[in-house]
Amino acid sequence: MRMPSAQQWTMLVLLFVCSALVLYPLGFLITQSLNTGDPQVFPPEEFGLSNYFNLYEDVRIISNTLLVACISTVLAVIFGFIQAWILTRTAIPGRERLERLMELPYYMTPLIGALAWGVLLGPKTGLINQLWRSIGFESDLFDIYTPWGIAWVMALFEGTVAFVMISASMKSMDPSLEESSRVLGASKLRTMLKITLPLVTPGVLSATIFVFAEMLGSFAAAFVLGIPGRFYVVTTSIWQAALSWPPDYGRAAAMGLSLFIAMVVSLGAARLVMRHGSYATITGKAFRPRPMDVGLMKWPLLSIAWGYILFAVILPLGALTLTSFQTFATVIIPQMKFTLANYQTALQMGSLGPAFINSMILGVSVATIGVPIIGVLAWIIYRSNMPMRGPMEYIIMVPAAVPRLVFGLGLLWAWINIPIPIYGTLWLLGIAYFTVFMPLGLRTMAGVVLQVDKSLEECARVCGAGWGYQMRTVTLPLLRPGLIAAWLLIFISSVRELGASVFLMGPHSKVIAPSIVNSWLTASSELSAAMALIQTVMVFVAVAIMFRVARRVGGVHE
Amino acid sequence: MSQNIPRIEVKDLVVKYGNVTAVDRVSFNIGPGELVTLLGPSGCGKTTTLRAIAGLETPSDGTIRLNSQTMYSGAERLNVPAEKRGVSMVFQSYAIWPHMTVFENVAYGLRVRKLPQAEVKQNVDRVLDMVQMRQYADRPSSKLSGGQQQRVAVARAIAFSPNVVLFDEPLSNLDAKLRAEMRVELRELQRRLDITSLYVTHDQEEALAISDRVIVMNGGQIEQLGSPEDIYDRPGSHFVADFVGSANMIPGKVTGDGPDGYLLYEMTGGATVRIMRPADGRGQGGTIALRSAYIHFGQTSGRQNAVNGTIHRRMFHGDFIQYVVDWPAGQLIVRRPPTEMFEEGSGVTVSFAPEHCVLL
Repeated sequence: MRMPSAQQWTMLVLLFVCSALVLYPLGFLITQSLNTGDPQVFPPEEFGLSNYFNLYEDVRIISNTLLVACISTVLAVIFGFIQAWILTRTAIPGRERLERLMELPYYMTPLIGALAWGVLLGPKTGLINQLWRSIGFESDLFDIYTPWGIAWVMALFEGTVAFVMISASMKSMDPSLEESSRVLGASKLRTMLKITLPLVTPGVLSATIFVFAEMLGSFAAAFVLGIPGRFYVVTTSIWQAALSWPPDYGRAAAMGLSLFIAMVVSLGAARLVMRHGSYATITGKAFRPRPMDVGLMKWPLLSIAWGYILFAVILPLGALTLTSFQTFATVIIPQMKFTLANYQTALQMGSLGPAFINSMILGVSVATIGVPIIGVLAWIIYRSNMPMRGPMEYIIMVPAAVPRLVFGLGLLWAWINIPIPIYGTLWLLGIAYFTVFMPLGLRTMAGVVLQVDKSLEECARVCGAGWGYQMRTVTLPLLRPGLIAAWLLIFISSVRELGASVFLMGPHSKVIAPSIVNSWLTASSELSAAMALIQTVMVFVAVAIMFRVARRVGGVHE
Repeated sequence: MSQNIPRIEVKDLVVKYGNVTAVDRVSFNIGPGELVTLLGPSGCGKTTTLRAIAGLETPSDGTIRLNSQTMYSGAERLNVPAEKRGVSMVFQSYAIWPHMTVFENVAYGLRVRKLPQAEVKQNVDRVLDMVQMRQYADRPSSKLSGGQQQRVAVARAIAFSPNVVLFDEPLSNLDAKLRAEMRVELRELQRRLDITSLYVTHDQEEALAISDRVIVMNGGQIEQLGSPEDIYDRPGSHFVADFVGSANMIPGKVTGDGPDGYLLYEMTGGATVRIMRPADGRGQGGTIALRSAYIHFGQTSGRQNAVNGTIHRRMFHGDFIQYVVDWPAGQLIVRRPPTEMFEEGSGVTVSFAPEHCVLL
């Protein structure tokens, strides 16, 4: 049937451009991984699988990756499960506030966390280790530059993700399921074992697999804490292979794609478990289970819950603050020398200042240009009856499964080999950010688009409004809270982006996160702490605005 | 002359979703000022038919004409978009825009049509008066109760003076008491403004109460089309008898001609009763439908059928009492006013007129 052609054209162009943005770099990644000839020549002259076979020779990297991923997954799920159980099922004071605080580690990012824990537990100079030695011990309390240290930091910051997923499955459980067990004569314990646990298991299992996939692709902590000790995982060796001289692109691409495949398989498994194993989420309703009265146990439980916040938020931010104001970081009070020089250096034009300005420019422009585009995409995919919209959704969601580091690698080649001179400029970074944050934006807006009852739009049409008038007067105003939330989320993600930026930033297009890492690896930890805090403040201000907006419009949240 | 030209003409309408045929060759006409109901269970295609007329659903074949203008034609590959059809609609969810005030909601259709501000105001005030919502004009529409939203939705639908309004289960989200009140008000309004209306509902009571004519749909097709009394007294099919009102389905067979032009019908399980001869050769035989409200206890007159039975169960419903009576042909449901009280286990004579036995 005929459709207004302006509308159809807009849709087709948008869908084409967005899928090209995703598929083009991936295509490069695949050809590069099969390139067995001279890695500098494009297009490749020889093809083969030797890049993949060579990966098996480096068993150590694979075993390192698995070791760190397994330890950190177990820890993160334990953290997440305990927090979820305490905060959804027990009557401890101040639950609501704690639940809100649980989001902070997510916004702080593993990068900041890794820096902070480096400051806290670095060998000899780490603040806690200094303290440990000052009370008479000969050696360090703990060395964070080890697989266990990396896993600890990753688990702390991925723990909130596990928490969100597990508490969602606990909340979606109808309390009457447990109540009817009790009414039929089962004891508290029997109810817990026979009803509660089986109902929560699928949620926990799928959270575990999901977190494991994230751990496989995580970069920041392994980078900050692994490089000094020459401990490499897959992501950091991709970085090394691509940026060492001569670059081994074939190897980097083969590793990147293998990682991608491993993540897609795990994420698929997580979805499968959730869909087929879950009884609890069938209704999709959120219940607030009646919190259990835990009596005097509430004090230990409360301290466990706050303990997590202490380790993931308070201690790291405190350590960074203390460090950033000193010339040489110490906890020995007589030796402290306070200064503002670190902030001055960080913000100075000519050295690191441009990185902050560039990141702000990128964050604002990617969010501003990206949100309307993704908004229209969300509308096409979830509301229109375009024939191609199903597959298109999958294509646009692909970057969510590709580690940003790997995607950055693909983008690097894709744009080096194209005669448009944007490599080394902010344009390339902007395009990269837009591409990798499309899934985030789409998911945020999908929720909002689906919340808007279809008949609200249909009613406008029946009242005589055309497509454009309807969009302007009904659809967009209703989507506004969601659009603002998406804007802020994309802004936050852009400002702290590390994985893709590592490859794409040039001498004249520096951005914050990689600059912080560079300063950590080459300059002082005091300067890095100052930079990390400035970035954290930028993100927290945006988060605060986001929550304010969400509360004002009520109900619409992420 | 215009009196005879139908406002809504639907001919051989077919709507398909993939391989599923939701609406299968449906045809009907609606005259000026008439209120016609599409009645049927969920999934029968009634809402799809309505939405196709509004232009919100793309049919696969057939024609739709509104005010003598072709809006959809499968043969001519013509499909006028919803906003150009000039009909109005009240949605099941009310579809009140939460980001606008009551006034802005109602004014929408007028502003789309670029009416001058004064005229917009005048019209909005007029229709808000009609639905008794004038004092709420400046209220944000997210702060309205269900019944108030319903009124605003109606006001918005009639504000730009359309001569055809479509109603998609407009009362189904209201509680029973409010629903009964709104039913009366809607009918009043429709009569007063002489609006041609097509009204979708799954509530048979509502359909019978407000309609000039009722179209009973099932499985994408029209089962029966007629006045409410026609549908109730002379159901044309097993489905209609069962879906509309409460009826007993009594299996048996026609055994011959009886006195006074009636037919003789032998119920399975014994006892022969007199039934009405189907007027137009309708009815395959095999079952008769007998409304439970048309059955009396006790012999009343010689023309009636009278059969002996026993009260098996009595259920008090308030407005009526429902009896389950054991009789030769199994069990019979009988509804009597609450003044007629019989004990369970007592013997009764059930009697009913041959006119109320409809051969299906």
